[in-house]
Amino acid sequence: MKFTLLLTFAWIVTGVSVALAAPLGIYQHGTVVRMRMGECMLMHRSFISAFGPPQAAAVEENCPEYTLVTDKVVFLIVGKSSNQLVPLAEVIDFRFHNKELAVRVDDARKESKFAIKEMTLRSEWEHIQRHIEDQLNDSPHRGVDTSLALRSRE
Amino acid sequence: MLAHWHIRLALLAFFTLTSVLAAEEASDASGVPTYRSTVSEVRVTFFATDENNHPVATLTKSDFAVVDNERVVRNFRSFTHSDETSLDVVALVDLSESVAPRVRVAMTDVLQLVAREQSIPDDNIAVLSFGGTSGGAFGGIHPAILCSSGCRDSDSVSRLLAVKSGGTTPLFDALIFGADFILHHRRAGVRPVIILFSDGDDTISLHSSREALEAALDGGVLIYSVDMGTSGNQTSGSAFLRQVSEATGGRYFSPRFSKNDGAATVLNAVLEDLRASYVVTYDLPSHQAGSHSLRLLPTHNLNLTFHSRNSYYYEPSGH
Repeated sequence: MKFTLLLTFAWIVTGVSVALAAPLGIYQHGTVVRMRMGECMLMHRSFISAFGPPQAAAVEENCPEYTLVTDKVVFLIVGKSSNQLVPLAEVIDFRFHNKELAVRVDDARKESKFAIKEMTLRSEWEHIQRHIEDQLNDSPHRGVDTSLALRSRE
Repeated sequence: MLAHWHIRLALLAFFTLTSVLAAEEASDASGVPTYRSTVSEVRVTFFATDENNHPVATLTKSDFAVVDNERVVRNFRSFTHSDETSLDVVALVDLSESVAPRVRVAMTDVLQLVAREQSIPDDNIAVLSFGGTSGGAFGGIHPAILCSSGCRDSDSVSRLLAVKSGGTTPLFDALIFGADFILHHRRAGVRPVIILFSDGDDTISLHSSREALEAALDGGVLIYSVDMGTSGNQTSGSAFLRQVSEATGGRYFSPRFSKNDGAATVLNAVLEDLRASYVVTYDLPSHQAGSHSLRLLPTHNLNLTFHSRNSYYYEPSGH
């Protein structure tokens, strides 16, 4: 009985805290401008698939990778499974949670957590984007790998 | 043959990339300059299903975003109900050895499909087969037209009942043949659909799976596949059927579904999808030549799944 009460209390506290997060200003805002299916991040693979024999890692899953643009910073975030989606609304709410990025979906009690793959200053990211656009405009018939948007600094 | 389809793609309205003349300034006789601009528009037909896999009748343009070659597009030029109001259906039936125990059931399904007079006019339904032993001199290597425009005649019904299973499986060749066949009957406002009854395993085609998929995409054909494989196993054949259905904007029906539900249910799904279809258009986000990947994703309700073709081919004008 005590345990049930405790569990109910914990659930209410969690729900209320998530619901209040936005009005209290905990959430930041951003816009997803790119999306691709890429490799899932190593940290989310099981021990066996990461260090086991080759056949254990044979089935590779693709995970969604999003470019999230905020006022100052651009994030490259990766889902943990192939069907983990970010709502592609004009503005999405997110917050940081244990080195991950938690995105709020329409149901205010639910958050979806993503690994942060890369972070770039927005000014720098925009500079790279302009460079890519120029490349495309200069040679409209030659393919340019625009997926390098964040990685071209490396 | 495939190059021929690429050219045809440019002419088809299902998925139109309209390229007008490049920016140009000219003067007419009165000396008034005329400005011409470049307009490239992508047109996507789609429908959405909810968490119970039922088509969603009412959508707004704020319910989804398009991801075109990784770029998220939310600004649309137009968003309307699809003007496609009827179906042109080709039932493509695998008669090969690997599905022999289930061919009778499949043919019963096909006969049910053909009998649905109120759903599809007689001129808009045809039945083709591949494999089997009734494919002519080559014993089923080439696809056979079992009936076309008149499938409800007693002669046609007799022919459908007389098919014999056996032999090899030229699935990919048959898909290309089916896409080409349906395109010869193509009319405005009519949605071309292939309902494929097969286990998805190919054993002898001259063409590859990729070429088969390209042929369907180039023709704007939607493929609804009914898996005739044995239930419970995720085979490479099932994977191909799922892939080709999803890539063209159609649907995949698993062996379990095929066992419990008849062709009437499949046809109902095709009709419901047609009624729930929308068309969205937007400016071409990147003039990168070649294949553009395409995906529609929800903006708010993550329980919605959007069904459309998953790529299109862009060729800049003058090439």
